[in-house]
Amino acid sequence: MHSPLDRWFAEEILVHEEALLRYLLRSWPHREEAQDLRQDIYARVYEAAAKGFPAQPKAFLFAAARNLMADRARRARVVSIEPMGDFEPSHVLVDDVSPERWCGGRQLLHRLADAFDGLPDRCREAVWLRRVEELSQKDVAMRMGISEKTVEKHLAKGMRLLADRLYGGDGMARDAHSVPAKDDDERQHAD
Amino acid sequence: MNASTRTEIEHTAADWLARRDGSAWSQADHAALADWLDADTAHRVAFLRLQAAWDESGRLQALGAGWKQPGPPPRGHWAQPAQAQGAASIALAPDLRDLKLAPRPPVGRSLAATAFAVLSIAACALFAGWGWRTYTHVDTASYQAALGQVQAAPLADGSRAVLSSDSRIDVQLSRHRRLVELRRGEAIFEVAKDATRPFVVDTGNRQVIAVGTRFSVRRDGNDLRVVVTEGTVRLETTRTGQGPQPMALLPAGSIALARGGDVLVRSLPIADAEGMLDWRDGTLAFRDTTLAEAVVEFNRFNARKLVVADPAAGALRVGGSFRWDNAEGFARLLERGFPLRAEYDASRIVLHSR
Repeated sequence: MHSPLDRWFAEEILVHEEALLRYLLRSWPHREEAQDLRQDIYARVYEAAAKGFPAQPKAFLFAAARNLMADRARRARVVSIEPMGDFEPSHVLVDDVSPERWCGGRQLLHRLADAFDGLPDRCREAVWLRRVEELSQKDVAMRMGISEKTVEKHLAKGMRLLADRLYGGDGMARDAHSVPAKDDDERQHAD
Repeated sequence: MNASTRTEIEHTAADWLARRDGSAWSQADHAALADWLDADTAHRVAFLRLQAAWDESGRLQALGAGWKQPGPPPRGHWAQPAQAQGAASIALAPDLRDLKLAPRPPVGRSLAATAFAVLSIAACALFAGWGWRTYTHVDTASYQAALGQVQAAPLADGSRAVLSSDSRIDVQLSRHRRLVELRRGEAIFEVAKDATRPFVVDTGNRQVIAVGTRFSVRRDGNDLRVVVTEGTVRLETTRTGQGPQPMALLPAGSIALARGGDVLVRSLPIADAEGMLDWRDGTLAFRDTTLAEAVVEFNRFNARKLVVADPAAGALRVGGSFRWDNAEGFARLLERGFPLRAEYDASRIVLHSR
């Protein structure tokens, strides 16, 4: 499950998610598409890295972002030329968190604490019982007086929200979830 | 990709991860997940992203250290600045200002990953969950105290460490073992009882092993001092060559001094052994101790060093309890009570016989 490629992706690419999103939000006229672009960029980067690791992952990531936006702009033919000028990511590369600092610092703990505190109550409780008290999903279900299936759902939701906050940063997480949150509720009703 | 496709993929990826984390995970599920991941790179990157975040969330254990009640602490529990709370609360909440998490060691990571891969091939259905948990639950943290500081470090398993001046420990907590590497200096450990996970303090060539007890370990290069004030600990030397592995069992009240291949064990009344750990409360206790030894103790805590100028001065015997942050006060007391003369300058205090 943890191939060198997978590890590389987590350690060299995901850590730049916040900077990437900021760049996308600045450069792309449709804010709501930032997360979709992000996902496509990840897929491109991952596929390219499968053929050989780029020497400078971060620069490579931003180049992929620029290319994707350019492709889309060409295809759509509706995007004005002004945002194109901003696609140049060089200024984003300055003064950003290096992966070492991101992974190593107490910054991560603060970030994790914030992300965790941002979870909805029951979801937060389930994540705590599973991850800190190390109860099995079954025992979490007993403790919370809910079904195992529901515990699984809380955890799945927790994983998504934690990822958005940990990688995407605070502002983006809120931004990104104004849409998916609705989608989430619909799902819960449908289940 | 449009938004609904993207969120759908993320939801599906999260569902897979949560299911795999549960008890009903089967070989068929494993194969189905592999198929889903292979079907589209978008699936794989979404999955990897959530998995990496879930891995990181294991560090919540470090945040949870010191929180003894069932369930999560209230929101904002980690938000208050530790500065304002004073020293007393350090024991209650981890002090994030001085807490540093080392990146997970790449060796452990690749070993675990390799082990995981092998297991997956051999008997993935049965062991996947086990390998996964073993891998995810290694928690790594480093703590250090600067010169002149004593620093409490609540560990994620409920144990407590108190670091003496100029000391550093690296902690790894896994499901099978609690490993503390004492890099330098001294620390007192109050070990939470957990018979399934021995608590090991490693000093390079020696290991001090406990289950639930209170003891301190001090390291000067490869010289080692262990003081036990409660329970029993085992002192082991890393086997080198063919000979039998030297081992010593140290009951409460023991002081073990290890140097080179030798281990010297002394037994003291427990109160005296406790006295050797008084630095935790800001004092150093001496009883019929030579001035030369006392000076070494003071110098552990202070940048302004005490220096004994001649052997006659070093051989004087002192007793009593002194604040370690007041070396100058100690010197002035010595001048009054002993045939000694002290020279004070900014970087050191030199003690001469009179």
